[in-house]
Amino acid sequence: MLASVASATLLGVDGQPVTVEVHVSNGLPSYTVVGLPDTAIRESRERVRAAILSAGLEWPQRRITVNLAPGGVRKHGAGLDLAVALGILVATETLPPEAVRRTAALGELGLDGTVRPVPGTIALVDTLARAGVDRVVVPTGNAAEAALVASVCVRAAGDLASLCTCLADDVDWPDWPAPVAGPDGAGDPGAPPDDDEVDLAEVRGLAWARRALETAAAGGHHLLLAGPPGAGKTMLARRLPTILPELTPTDALAVTRIHSAAGRAPVGGLATRRPFRSPHHSVSVAALIGGGSSRVTPGEVTLAHRGALFLDELGEFPPSALEALRQPLEERVVRISRQADALTFPADFQLVACTNPCPCGLGPPWCTCTDAQRARYRRRLSAPLLDRFDLRVAVQPPEPGAPPGESSAVVRERVQAAVARQHARYCDHPFARNAHVPARALAELVPLSPDATDAWLGESDLRRLTGRGAARIHRVARTLADLDDTPEIGAAHVALASMLREDVP
Amino acid sequence: MTAAADATGPVPGHSPASVPPLTDDQVAVVALAGLETLGHRRIRLLCAHYPGPAAAARGIVAGTARAVLAPTFGTAHAHLLDPCCARWSRDLDLAATRSTLEQRAARVWLGNSPGFPVTEPLPDLPVALVAEGARADALDRPRVAIVGTRTATPHGLADAHDLAATLAAAGVTVVSGLALGIDGAAHAGVVAVGGTTIGVVATGLDVEYPRRHRRLYADVRAHGLVLGETGYGVGPTPWRFPIRNRIIAALADVVVVVEATRTGGARITAEHALRYDRAVFAVPGSRRNPAAAGTNALIADGAHPLTDWDEVLLALGMTPGARRTPPLRPVPDPVGRAVLAALGGEPASPEQLAARTRLDPETVALALTTLTRTGWITMHQGVVWPS
Repeated sequence: MLASVASATLLGVDGQPVTVEVHVSNGLPSYTVVGLPDTAIRESRERVRAAILSAGLEWPQRRITVNLAPGGVRKHGAGLDLAVALGILVATETLPPEAVRRTAALGELGLDGTVRPVPGTIALVDTLARAGVDRVVVPTGNAAEAALVASVCVRAAGDLASLCTCLADDVDWPDWPAPVAGPDGAGDPGAPPDDDEVDLAEVRGLAWARRALETAAAGGHHLLLAGPPGAGKTMLARRLPTILPELTPTDALAVTRIHSAAGRAPVGGLATRRPFRSPHHSVSVAALIGGGSSRVTPGEVTLAHRGALFLDELGEFPPSALEALRQPLEERVVRISRQADALTFPADFQLVACTNPCPCGLGPPWCTCTDAQRARYRRRLSAPLLDRFDLRVAVQPPEPGAPPGESSAVVRERVQAAVARQHARYCDHPFARNAHVPARALAELVPLSPDATDAWLGESDLRRLTGRGAARIHRVARTLADLDDTPEIGAAHVALASMLREDVP
Repeated sequence: MTAAADATGPVPGHSPASVPPLTDDQVAVVALAGLETLGHRRIRLLCAHYPGPAAAARGIVAGTARAVLAPTFGTAHAHLLDPCCARWSRDLDLAATRSTLEQRAARVWLGNSPGFPVTEPLPDLPVALVAEGARADALDRPRVAIVGTRTATPHGLADAHDLAATLAAAGVTVVSGLALGIDGAAHAGVVAVGGTTIGVVATGLDVEYPRRHRRLYADVRAHGLVLGETGYGVGPTPWRFPIRNRIIAALADVVVVVEATRTGGARITAEHALRYDRAVFAVPGSRRNPAAAGTNALIADGAHPLTDWDEVLLALGMTPGARRTPPLRPVPDPVGRAVLAALGGEPASPEQLAARTRLDPETVALALTTLTRTGWITMHQGVVWPS
């Protein structure tokens, strides 16, 4: 007797539809799983058997073969348990075949028959919806998340016994609890790394660095802060999440999808804040970019998608990791190729980095390092990487008695308004932020006033800028004008943009 | 050890014909100076004991020098005497030294010969000096040493360059050490106006150290001399650099320290200069600038504070030429003037300027851009420096 149930497994941050076929025939009692399962799936036999017995149903003492199609794709995790159990129940005629027609099942089984949540629900449900499934049964804990996919009917399952009843009659489906966000959005990818609520008002002085941070948040520009230890670089950068603009609904879905696939789903369904990732400088290339040998998992750059990636002490990161950042910074996606898979992960993040200007840390003007020491220190950061920062600011320690700055709420309001202006300007284009405007479209989309053109040409001449460098100043000038709410870029915007892109460290 | 393997041929810029033929003594003293750990004191001891350097070289080979040099080892290092003598005797190669000297068209002056660049009897002078370069006449002019720290600020580098150019234009030979920082800027200043300069090195003349100054070495050879007391093949050895500084002090009529840290080689040069009774000038700097701490300390110790380059020419007994007129710059607008006033002649970050002038960043940025373009200030690594 044969049954097949639709399900899905994770491939990177996307789902891959899997058809679970169960064949029960006469012969010596056995249980075989074929179709490139991993260890978790092989072990499903014990979970599925105990769950079926705990649900008060019959476990067939016959020859059971489970096939996971397509056979050439590796499957991971315990999320196929429920589909296997339903397949066995249909094959043994405990459930009618109509009960699982055009229905997919996701969920891990407990020995007592409970259906446990699985990572990546949103991506899996989305994939199944595209594959033409009408109804998806998901664990109660994932139901809110699964319901974010509008095009499919989501049914929640708390345990196997009641699920069988509901499936058989297609009535009395349980409701799922409304999404509850933890206190202060705990579990949200954008939550600050430590639990203390931080605010820009705590940062004294540092007017220029603050200006650069605000510009970065508004335009999506990459930001490098260079300065002596204790100047407040890290303190400032850690407050970036408090002024980042709101997530648009599409972005929120994309962020939720990635974090769910990485097993860090927001507690209450949709992510509400932009991610802010700050990996330690001992991070490996695979952890930063994504990868892994048996199973390719997204890296920090993907987890920071539509948010910010903060690298403190940039010079301490392994050069291989930093050089690997260059391609995602430019293309905003990561392409991971392994023997088995070639995956593309989204990686549209904003890079914020801090570094000391030299080994002594003092920086100009009173640095005591030799030229050779400085040169050696600077060699850790390659010129192509430094070139990708639109904003490079030398942070000097604030003079004593510097007044506290504006609060995050005030700054965020300006940032939000500037972002709205950018969205309006680029509504017909595939990009939405000033930092993403392609160089060829700059002249048309972001025109400079005659004054600003003179200033821009003068700067390019004076600093012998490359075409790319000049384009970056152009984009930052637009963001500065957006923050000022002026339709035209002025000479002062160009001058400040150029000054916010100093040759540091 | 001699650089017999060096096959670069004659150094471009001067012809071998202009160099007088070498005596055995000249060859021997260069060969001795190329031996490892045989410093200038030991060579002087040998030359005093034997009738001359050639005889001293024979003494090294024959082993009779052992008794002469034994006291220099003292009791603590007595066990090194025999290995050192054996190595010196093995490494000494007069024929190779002669061929290198001839090939590179080097000049050698013995300390007691009439052509020696230093005429007064000063203590601790080198037994001989070796020089290569196109302009032997560089030694005939008044000589001013410009020395300073390797970790110089942009101001220091500009001062060294400017001073060297001014002096070179007035016909003075600028002596320095071909090091990074102030030394390099001084040589470059001379080269820029086509003057004469002498680079005093602590390595063999066939070694270019630091390597970054490769091109500067070639420039100095073309515009003057590269000169030292060390034989061929001797690489950069830390103890030779401070000893080299006494040659700079001895060669110079006036020593100018542009920027020096509290404990740098430039201070050593200044101390040698005082010992040799040379006039010492120091360019004063900001109290906050660690690269000016040494020069300020020198001034406190009695060095002349140098604020007008012409004072160096006056100290040499020369009449300053036509005073240089400062380049005409357009008068800045009120905001520019406020920014310059806030700068107060010292480096500052744009942020500090914005805080001091109470202007918003855009205005300050625009003013700084205009001031940079009109030459009032320069921007360097995020710091504004007044010109």
